[in-house]
This record gives sequence, C-alpha cells and structure tokens, in this order.
Amino acid sequence: MPIPTSEEKLRWIKVTPPTAEELEAVAQLSPGDYEIGFQRTNDILDEALEVFQRSCRSSMGIAGDVMVAIFTAQGDLVNGAAGTYLHAIIQPIIIKYILTYYRQNPGIHDGDIWIANDALYGGIHNPDYVALVPVFYKGQLIAWCGAANHTTETGAVEPGGMPITAPARFSEGMNLPPMKVGEHGQLREDLLELFYAYGIRAPQMVVTDLKARSTAADRARMRVLELAEKEGPAFVIGLLRKMLMVAEEGARRRIASWPDGKFRCVAFADTIGGMGSGLIRSASLTIHKQGDHLLLDFSGTSPENPSSYNAHVQAAVGHLANFLYSYIFHDLPISSATFAPIDFYFPPGCVLNPDPRAATSCSVMICTGIMSSAAVAFSKMIFGTQEWRQAVASSANGGNAMVLAGLSQWGLPFADMLAYSLNTEGQGGRATAPGMDASHFAWCPFGRSPDVELMENEFPMLVPISQHWQDSCGHGAHRGGCGTVQIWVAYQAPTVFFTTIADNSKVQTSQPLFGGYAPPTVPGISIRRADLLQRMRDGDRTLKLNFSALIDRQAIGGEWSNEPFLRSVRPYNEGDVITFGFATGGAGYGDPLEADPYQVVQDVEAEIISEWSARNIYKVAYDPETMRVNLAETEALRASERQARLARGRPWDEFHASWSRQKPPEEALTWFGSWPEGRPLAPVLRP
Amino acid sequence: MERLRITEYLDLDLEEEQWYCHRCGRALISARENYKKGCLLYDRDPREIHRPLLEGTYTFSPDPSWIRIIEFYCPSCGTQIETEYLPPGHPITYDIELDLDSLKERLARGEYAIVDSRLVLAGNTGSSDGVHGKKEEKP
Repeated sequence: MPIPTSEEKLRWIKVTPPTAEELEAVAQLSPGDYEIGFQRTNDILDEALEVFQRSCRSSMGIAGDVMVAIFTAQGDLVNGAAGTYLHAIIQPIIIKYILTYYRQNPGIHDGDIWIANDALYGGIHNPDYVALVPVFYKGQLIAWCGAANHTTETGAVEPGGMPITAPARFSEGMNLPPMKVGEHGQLREDLLELFYAYGIRAPQMVVTDLKARSTAADRARMRVLELAEKEGPAFVIGLLRKMLMVAEEGARRRIASWPDGKFRCVAFADTIGGMGSGLIRSASLTIHKQGDHLLLDFSGTSPENPSSYNAHVQAAVGHLANFLYSYIFHDLPISSATFAPIDFYFPPGCVLNPDPRAATSCSVMICTGIMSSAAVAFSKMIFGTQEWRQAVASSANGGNAMVLAGLSQWGLPFADMLAYSLNTEGQGGRATAPGMDASHFAWCPFGRSPDVELMENEFPMLVPISQHWQDSCGHGAHRGGCGTVQIWVAYQAPTVFFTTIADNSKVQTSQPLFGGYAPPTVPGISIRRADLLQRMRDGDRTLKLNFSALIDRQAIGGEWSNEPFLRSVRPYNEGDVITFGFATGGAGYGDPLEADPYQVVQDVEAEIISEWSARNIYKVAYDPETMRVNLAETEALRASERQARLARGRPWDEFHASWSRQKPPEEALTWFGSWPEGRPLAPVLRP
Repeated sequence: MERLRITEYLDLDLEEEQWYCHRCGRALISARENYKKGCLLYDRDPREIHRPLLEGTYTFSPDPSWIRIIEFYCPSCGTQIETEYLPPGHPITYDIELDLDSLKERLARGEYAIVDSRLVLAGNTGSSDGVHGKKEEKP
C-alpha cells in the first residue's frame, strides 16, 4: 500500500462530507437529542479515560498523556477526552488509511483491534501509539473508538523512545503502519510477541500499555453500542454527524469574530539532536485570516536536518491543536470539525514536512516552535475582540524529557520517561493574571505530575529536592508561571542509564507577549562522585537542600559537568547526581515595569523570583527586613528606567543601520538554511 | 469612531488609520505600516535580563551571539510595547498586519460593532459563548 503523502494526510484531517444516510439521521433527531447525546459521549469518554489511565503502566500513561475518542464511521473525530490534544488530529488519518486500503484485505470486522505508531502514516512520533476499534451494530459500521498514549519505549537505538542520535527513521525502533493486531476482541499472541521483542528494555510496560489502549477503546465501543441498542443506530449516526456540524459552525463563528489580516511570529530552536547545537527557525508562522477561514503558512521555516528533530505535517498540526484547544477553542468540542475552517501550508523539505526517511521521534521538540508562535500570533489576532481574556504568552513549551533505564532496585528491566519535569512547567502570563506556577505540560494540559515517593519506589533514584525553580518564569507585567527543579541521585542500583530529550540551552523557543520576557535557558548539570548521598547519610547540617544554595559549585563536592540539557545516553553510578531536572517556566506578558509591586515582593518571599530580579527587572523598592514595598521609591525607579529607555532606544532606520550588519556565527547556521531566508542549501543525506 | 485596542499597548484609530500608544496616547505611525517602525528599538544583551548563575557555556543565560532581545519602546512614555527574541541581524517581524479596508467595510456593513474598544460580531453575544461554553461577563 502507498505511504500517504503530506497532502493526503492534511486532506484526511478534514471532515468527510456527510452521506445521505447521515443527513437523514440528523433530520430524525428530536429536540434535546443532540444535547443529551453529546453529554452521553462525554460520559462514555470520561469512563474510558479513567479505565485507560488506571490500566497504563508507562509513566506517561499514568500521568495522563492519553486520549480516548469517538469517531464517525468515516473516521472523523466527534469528541475526545484528554489528556493530550495531539491525538485529536492524527487518529482520523489512521482510520481513513485503514478504510481506504484495508476494506478487502485483511478486511474490517467486528472485534478488530487496529494499531499504529508510525508518523509516516499519520502518527505524532513512534512512542505515541494509537489503538482503534470499529463499532459494528448488527453488521453495520456505525462508528470507531480510539485510545492513544505515549508509551516510552520503542526499541530504538537509545532507550526512551525518542533517540536524539537517530539520523533516520531506521534507528527509531518499532514504527508500525496501521495494522490489525486483534480479532474477535482478542489481541493476537504472535503480534504481542512483536511488542515484547521491541519492548525488551521494558517488557512490562510496552505490552501492558498495548492492552490498556485496547481495553480503553473497547470500553468506549461497548458504551456506544449500548447507546445504539437503547436509541437505535440511526440515533448514533445522526448524533455523531450533528456534533460535527455544530462544532464546525461554532469554530467558523469564532474565527469570523476576529479582524482580517496577517499575524506573524517566528520561533527558534538551538539543537540538531545528537549532532549538537545549531540554530533552527523552528516555526516561521504567518496566519492569513479572512472571514471565517484561517491559513497557517509556515514558509520560511528552516530545512529538515539529519537528526530526529523533524516532524511530519500532521504532527505539526497536532501541536497547533495543543494550543488551540487549551485557549482559543477551549469551549468548543474536541472535533475534526473545529479544524474544518483551517488550512495549512508546510513547504516541502522543511523541518515540518521532511522526507519520508527522516527521523521524527523528537518531533514534539521541533514543534515547540509551533506552540510558541501560535500563542503569540493568535493572541495578537484576538486581543482586539471579546476573546481578549484568552490572550496568553507562550507556555514553557520546554519539554525537558528525562529518561532513566537499566535494572531497577527490584531487579526488573525498565526504560521510562518520568513526567515530573514535563507536567510541572509554567503557564504563560495571561491577560488578566500571571501564569500559573508548575501548572501543566503544554502537550498534555490535564497531565498529572508523579509524587516523589512514587518515583523513588519505581526507579533506582533519590530525589532530595523537588521545588519551584526560582526565576524560571519569563518576567512581565504578568509574569509567566514558575517551573520546577528536582535533583536526581542514582540510588539503590550500581548503575543507571540516563538520557534527555530537550533543547533551549543556548536559545529559548518561547517568545514573550506585549513587552514581557522569555524564560531563561536550561543547562544540563550533573555531578559524578558526588558527596551528597554520604552527607545526607551522615546528617550533615551544613547541607542546604535548596536549589539556590545547591547550584553553587561549592555546595556539593564531586565532578561537576555543565552541558546542554539534551544529553545522549550515558551511565551513572550510585551516588552520582544524574542531573538537575528542570521544568521550564512560562513566558512573560506585558512590560515588567507595570507588574504589581506587592505581587513582586510576594514572589520574592515565596522564592518564585529572586531579589535580583525584583530590583533589576521589576524595579521594585522594598525593605528586605520587613518586606514592605516603598511605593514612592518604586515609582521613581520605574520613571527613571522609562527615561533610560528613551535615551537608549533608537529610531527604526538608525537601529537597522547597525542591526542589519549583524549575523550569528557561521557554526550556528549549518542547518538554519540560507541566511536569513531559511531556504535549503543542500540535500539531506541519510544512511 | 471609538479607537480599537489591538494589543495591551496599542490602539488603532480607524478613521485616521493611525497606531497610538495606549498608555500615553502618542501617535506612533500609520496603521498601514508595521507599528514597530514608530517605536524606539533597543538591542538588549540577554544576559542583562537572564542573569548567569554558572560559569562556562551553559549558564541559564541565552548565548548573546545566537540570540538578542529587541525591545520596542513608546517614544513618548517609554512603555515597553513589545519584545522579540531574535538572532542578531534577523529581520524584525511584521507581526500585526491588519486588513484595514476589510475592517472598515465590515464595520460599515454592521457586521461588527466596537464596544468598549473591542470588536463585537453582530448577532454574536461574543466570546466564549461558542457552542457549549459559558457566557462571559462584559469586558
């Protein structure tokens, strides 16, 4: 069967036109049927989501990086429960591929279980597996149900499912196009063995998660069937189609309320995976808004590169869904139809539309540019409307994914990505308030962070500190939410393997909004032969378990290492400080000189921001003993800073006379493309 | 006609087709231009905002040879209207390019109204009132 093209996948995101049977079924709905039926789908999905998370074994699954969903018989998503919104975009593509190519051989039958995780065929990246089951009522296909989650291990060249050193898809481990793995409601034993074989680093996780997905999708299937049994199949068919129609109407009405024009933002990444550092324009976004239609044009985005930091087009759209459903469409249904008024252009050969051979297992990292630029561009589009409260600076979008692997203290093989540094990122500053601290993971707004005891019980590690990371927020009138920091110490096992998937050690991807600042960059800090564990055992009272104190090189003895936060797999011995684990803060909103001085001092007291920031960024005067704000002196400091701005600022032409002569160093631009256009300079050669 | 508030610090006068600072009311530039051309610009070393906490290459501060902070100030009151993190020499983004003719036509047709400095679609009770959500209070 053919590999779907980018154009096909973008087409399959769109809602399939209704059939005559569907339109007739819609017409037969009685008043109130739609409202009651809609809520019934919510209830079905909530139940299935609960079953799913309780059945998952991977840390990401338990933490909520999941989605369950219901689709029409033709594969359009009508409602979902999440978790993560990424999968709202990809599952229709996979169903439509199955419907297009597999109706005859192997056929689509009652009791089938289908699965896929290959981004080439419609996935996000291969740790994200999707299970889909058709819903047959007395022989008629009336719907599909699906369950998707992030299962860390894929049997790739590095543990953790997101190998940063993969130069092509051939190093990414298990990449499964849509395939039938179960019949008659049973998973096939021979295919389960395939999952055991690829999941040999973490057999208890990979197979259990497969069963969890199948179980969750089947639970939704059972409930949809009950609905069909009670109300009749035409009710279900009509309801699902009407849900699409109403959702599209709502999305179009929302978009039509915004002013027409073009809204732009650029975002940058600093990494080409395991190949090292390099400047990438990870999103060059222009939103063309006209009437009730949006075109998101990514022309100018940097060319693809021979690392795993590329994304196929539907994965890129999935990241827009993360932002849109979190903010702009927060009150619209999770539905294929809300994307009906939106078209996309991803230039072939850019990092968001690479060659089929490209590695894309770190697609979620390169797509941070989409989430960041979308926050800025959409906020600027809607601020002049009644939607202004939804304007928001970029969430952290750090995605500092940290993976441990090896043999646990229980003697079990494991390879897992721990959700704490992800699900405790900071929210971007909001139009009406600061961003929430340690609030969420932009990929998974409803994700939970594991408690430290759970982490220490499951994995050979000790977590001596777990606290807010001071000054991790982007500053602003409404600062971004603060992120967190942990320290991971190898513990109760002689050796543990570690790898991180990240960027933002030289450049932040998040752009601020309306005069705020971005969050800081993130270093990769480890300490081999650290004396921390022994000093804790000895009850050393000079040891301060506080980030601000511990970041001082003198605070912990040992061999300190300072690298990019992204690190390929390496072993650590018991007692080593594997890493400082950072969850990034959100970007700032508005001029910091307009921040409430009392809030600033309160943040100092809470150790959310430092005294240095209060005085140098926010220009707040206060008594460090009593923590009382001196309003008069604060206003004088701020007035003085505004005058300083007027003195140092330059008019456009004068500024450009020097600015336009500048350029980043050549070694930073190897994979940027032509400067500054970002056009490909040479073909990418992959082994 | 009432001015439209387009960003936290930018007002748009549609009749004059002019950008204004929302804080001090200073006219910045024609609304058919990038408002940033009417601001004062400053090329900020990111280490001044993101204080280095460590020695060496990776310090919690962006690499100033890779990225700069461009600050855009109101030339009258010094309000920081916008910021943008850009590699040195990278083109400044034309971030808000409104279709003024469309906006005027839709207002003239009664498709929109301006209420409390913001656009309201006629027949739309407004925001977050979409399909299944709750109606919000008037801003």
